[in-house]
Amino acid sequence: MARAADQHVLLQANNLTKAFPGVMALNGVNFQVRAGEVNALVGENGAGKSTLIKIIAGYYTPDSGEIKINGESLKFTTKAAHIAGIATIHQDHQLIPNMSVAENISLGMWETKYGFVSKRRESERAEGILSEILPNLDPQKLAKALSPAEAQLVEISKALSENSKILVMDEPTSSLSAVEVDRLFEIVAKLKNNGLGIVFVSHWLDEVFKISDTITVLRDGKLVDSVPANSITRDEIIRKMVGRDIKEVKSTSQGTSKKVLEVKNLSRNGILENISFNVNAGEIVTLVGLEGAGRSEIAECIFGIEKYHKGEILVDGVPISKSNPKAAIKAGIGLVPEDRHSQAMLPKMSVKNNISVALLKSFTRLSWLLPKEEEAIYANMKARLKIKAPTSETKIATLSGGNQQKVILGRWLSLNPKLLILDEPTKGVDVAAKAEISKIITEMATLGTAVLLISSELPEVLALSDRVIVIRSGNISGELIGSSITQKSIMDLAMAI
Amino acid sequence: MTSLQDFGLLFVILFGGVILSFASDVFATGLNFRNVALASTVVAVMAIGQTFVILVAGIDLSVGAMLALSSVLSVGFTIKQGLPVGISIVLALLVGLFVGLINGLSVTLLNIPPLIATLASMSIVRGFAYIYSGGMNITPTPDIFSQFQEATVFGVPLVIIFTLVLGIIAHITLTKTSFGRQVFSTGGNALASKLAGIRVNRVIIYCYMISGFSAALAGILLSARLDAGAATAGMGYELTVISACVIGGVSLFGGEGKIGAVFLGVLLLALVQNAINLLEVPANYDYVVSGLVIAAAASLDVYRRGLVDAGLKRSNSAQKVESPEEK
Repeated sequence: MARAADQHVLLQANNLTKAFPGVMALNGVNFQVRAGEVNALVGENGAGKSTLIKIIAGYYTPDSGEIKINGESLKFTTKAAHIAGIATIHQDHQLIPNMSVAENISLGMWETKYGFVSKRRESERAEGILSEILPNLDPQKLAKALSPAEAQLVEISKALSENSKILVMDEPTSSLSAVEVDRLFEIVAKLKNNGLGIVFVSHWLDEVFKISDTITVLRDGKLVDSVPANSITRDEIIRKMVGRDIKEVKSTSQGTSKKVLEVKNLSRNGILENISFNVNAGEIVTLVGLEGAGRSEIAECIFGIEKYHKGEILVDGVPISKSNPKAAIKAGIGLVPEDRHSQAMLPKMSVKNNISVALLKSFTRLSWLLPKEEEAIYANMKARLKIKAPTSETKIATLSGGNQQKVILGRWLSLNPKLLILDEPTKGVDVAAKAEISKIITEMATLGTAVLLISSELPEVLALSDRVIVIRSGNISGELIGSSITQKSIMDLAMAI
Repeated sequence: MTSLQDFGLLFVILFGGVILSFASDVFATGLNFRNVALASTVVAVMAIGQTFVILVAGIDLSVGAMLALSSVLSVGFTIKQGLPVGISIVLALLVGLFVGLINGLSVTLLNIPPLIATLASMSIVRGFAYIYSGGMNITPTPDIFSQFQEATVFGVPLVIIFTLVLGIIAHITLTKTSFGRQVFSTGGNALASKLAGIRVNRVIIYCYMISGFSAALAGILLSARLDAGAATAGMGYELTVISACVIGGVSLFGGEGKIGAVFLGVLLLALVQNAINLLEVPANYDYVVSGLVIAAAASLDVYRRGLVDAGLKRSNSAQKVESPEEK
């Protein structure tokens, strides 16, 4: 770990500030990348990691502040970043599956001879580029036949060019197995020894400690600290990530002892293992865990979207008859899914139709729709949820994210469900709507609905939950009740390996 | 926006009509109008079913073949097998429903893309029409066919009234019933509809059955018009029908469209055909002109949608809050 202050500073970011409407994404952040160093960026969701990376890669222009590369100011365009030697690997894979590795590598920079693409030259060039990182890979292999790690490494090879000085990786290990992670880290170590500066974003603290020389902690858009990795402990990092001011915990549990939802030994091949828990009437139970831990999958099994191979799901003591959403709705379950756009909204339809779609039956007589009753359902929800829409015929797609989410909430509230499942209900909505949605959730519970919440935002988890169930790699790693729910205790359970 | 679009199509038709009435002495005569309307009925009836299918983001290429099969069966069951006319007609319609059911099952349960599934059934159905008829026209049609074809109500041919009534029924089904709402919802976002408890597959299957049924019905109308059961009839009609839907503003992505506008699309295509005949455009240019009109209508539609989307985005960006950390 040869980190020394005298090492050459490749990138110096000074005082970067970037605001989005309602959110201060970055607030006066200073950041350095040195040659031959791995600098790990850590922080909770929303801490500003992605924003910082995107500014470095030239996707965003900061409101103020500057980035200097070797003492020269960098313009905030992807092209300028590329010329300055910044290579960025994004979280989602960007190879074209039905093309060979060689074709993917020369995409947009085809090797031609007399105007024809030369397969031979393309292949030679790919071999040259791959020789450093993946010497044994056949460049004619199709991208879809690559393992996730190989694909990741091909992308790294592709992104690196001769003049690359800095490699930025956003969650590069999220789709890799443990063995593959080791392989990636070997390569990263090699690149580091070649003098590259590496920025590494990860949720996995063990990985961060394994690979990094410096750890930079962001919280709420501010730089908390940037310290040598060997001078700090895991616990200290977690404390810096969540802040010292531990928020007020809900004092009294609202739940009754009437079990609404019972999940028994739920297992789904390779994803969930023996998940058992209850949600009582009037109680808010939150599933917490890292991305990919299996939280959404639990919700999908309960709501009948995905099949499970073992276990039982009961509502009010009665097993759900069939595994499909219609049966789940009939049993009294509502679901506000994680991805509003693809899973919930009917974009071409009005706000009124979007609310009423799950209870068409209630205002249908002899298959005839009764417009007045539908209008009444809408008016009721509009008033209750304070939906801001000019008329009931306004298309949902024209509303703000917060109002769209309220419409989706209204869809389920109007059904008066026994159990309401909310998967990241405040994702992508502004601060004001967030507060309103939290209030609605609490009200629902007070009225006796059992609420199963899935959330990645710890402040929200702390403010709303009566009980927290922590999921890690498809297992329940712990349960927290009342005053034992703290940011620290949650993070410990979620991140330990 | 949508009403403006319908109005636009109506305007094009009226404008074209005015020009034609100057260009041709025959155009603005009652007889010609009657012929244009009569010629539109078969395509219009098929377009009703096709609209349901396209609304759920599908496509039905088998309608031209279904038209032919129904045409030969409805006549042949009586002429060749000696069944009563009523039974023959009902059987032909049932075959239409059955073909639609098969199409719907292939698309939903077997997950075959609609284009491929109905391409296959198009070929199979056409094959059965040839097998049953031996490739020959089946004549004569029972009397009731020609009686229906010639019947008028207050001077208006019954066929035209019949087609309009079907259109009105379809329009009401789409706009006023629970099923219609489920069609739009499924076409707009099938996953979200499923999560809202709509039996999406069932809705899609019903739409293909409606399309099969309306193609079969159109086949019977065609038999009456031609006074024969014709296995070779309706070649390429599927494309005319789909064109009419697209010109009428039915979105090929599903979830958007109106029967009234589709009828205007059918009328526009019939007028183009009429103009080609009246202005004595050489027969070989026929396809080129029709194709150009379809291309022009589709481009106009894309352009209009672009404007609408741009408007949407403008009003969006004013309200919508960007969320920086969303991946």
